[in-house]
Amino acid sequence: MTRNRLLEIGALAGISAALVTALSVPPEQTQGDLARMLFVHVPSIWLAYLSFTVTLVASAAYLRTKSLRWDRVAGSSAEIGVVFTAAALLSGMIWGKPTWGVWWTWDARLVLTAVLFFVYLGYLALRRSIEDPATRARRSALFGMLAIVQIPIVHFSVVWWRTLHQQASLVRPGGLQMDPPFVAAFGAALVAFTVVYAALLARRVDLARIEDDIEAALRRQDLPVAGAAVVAPELGGPHV
Amino acid sequence: MTHPTNSPQTPDIRRQALTVARRDLVSEARSGEVMFVVAPFAAIALLLIPIGIGTDVPLLRRIGPGLYWAIVLLFGILVTLRQSADDGGPQRDRLALLGADPVAVLAGRSAAAAVLLIAVEVVLLPVMLALYDVSLPGWPWLFFLIPMVGAALAMLGTIVSAVTGPGASRAALVPLLVAPLAVPILLAATQSLEGLRLGESILTWLLLLAVGNLILAVTGVLAARPLQEALR
Repeated sequence: MTRNRLLEIGALAGISAALVTALSVPPEQTQGDLARMLFVHVPSIWLAYLSFTVTLVASAAYLRTKSLRWDRVAGSSAEIGVVFTAAALLSGMIWGKPTWGVWWTWDARLVLTAVLFFVYLGYLALRRSIEDPATRARRSALFGMLAIVQIPIVHFSVVWWRTLHQQASLVRPGGLQMDPPFVAAFGAALVAFTVVYAALLARRVDLARIEDDIEAALRRQDLPVAGAAVVAPELGGPHV
Repeated sequence: MTHPTNSPQTPDIRRQALTVARRDLVSEARSGEVMFVVAPFAAIALLLIPIGIGTDVPLLRRIGPGLYWAIVLLFGILVTLRQSADDGGPQRDRLALLGADPVAVLAGRSAAAAVLLIAVEVVLLPVMLALYDVSLPGWPWLFFLIPMVGAALAMLGTIVSAVTGPGASRAALVPLLVAPLAVPILLAATQSLEGLRLGESILTWLLLLAVGNLILAVTGVLAARPLQEALR
């Protein structure tokens, strides 16, 4: 069984287990069943952070080694991160409507998460705009390293500014403040989402490698064959 | 890739940067793209917005400073995208062959963009004050605020322009990349001007701008060489 297949099976099992655990948790005291959104919303933004951190590490590794493998990891991870940032924004809006009464509010955490989404959307647009793999890798690596500054700002925005958004669930002063069943379900969701990330990343990196191979083959087709400039001698001088 | 080492004839990095900045500014003075196209266009935007949202003077007085900086940010991107800032391949190659330090080139470009952005800010400020009837009791702070915002936006725009490189997609990509990254600068600038309007201290926001400038300067120094190599 291949590594990708194993990861996909693990992701499916993890998601199933997380779903069962999340549904078996009793309703929360104030928000009732709505609180179950926590098991989708927080793991989504966690995956976004993880993805963009992997992009940073892979970008630095590319600049150091010049191996396109790292560039593929950086690009693939950023793609997954953008998807999960969108998921975090959407799940937050769905959660916000019944609790805050609005789909969107001009809160520091919300606005900065939207900014994070657009920064990495820009990163993906930058990648698509450059054809040459080495140039694309180098420029996007530099931008990928610059863009990471956003993550601590987004995460600690709820500490630095007075916001409507609740305090961070994971990394916060005073540690986790949830009842044990919630902690268990939350942990299961985090693990399941992380395995999903690993499965998606492995598959996407493979796809990126195939894309690169196809692009390289197409580029080779466009090149003149070695020696094509040499023509057989003809009587009557060269054609003009 | 190695760079030509500076020979005794090669001017030091500061003079190289000044030469690049002067060249950019002379080129801009000839074309007049920023002062005769971008700045008037931005002034028209300041004029049009109240027509769109309603000419309620108390409301305009309140939102004027924020609108001013939003316009400076959006039109400031056009300053970094100006034609005179777009080097062709032969220009880049010549600079490299002359032994120009990539850090000096990036610093020179940023300095020129900063001068132009500050000029745009200075032109737009009285327009905003007049149209939106805003008074700024703490106006002497503007001597610090305007250059700091101009420098930060110029550095960010120049770095991102260098990352995207020349090409057809540059005009679309630079705004997409700069606008979200400029949010902390916009926030500090808006809060500072709001503080000045209310007669409050803006030291914290100026400190944030100073930190932002420092981060961008360090990023520029670290990224200059890899970026120059990426353009070859």
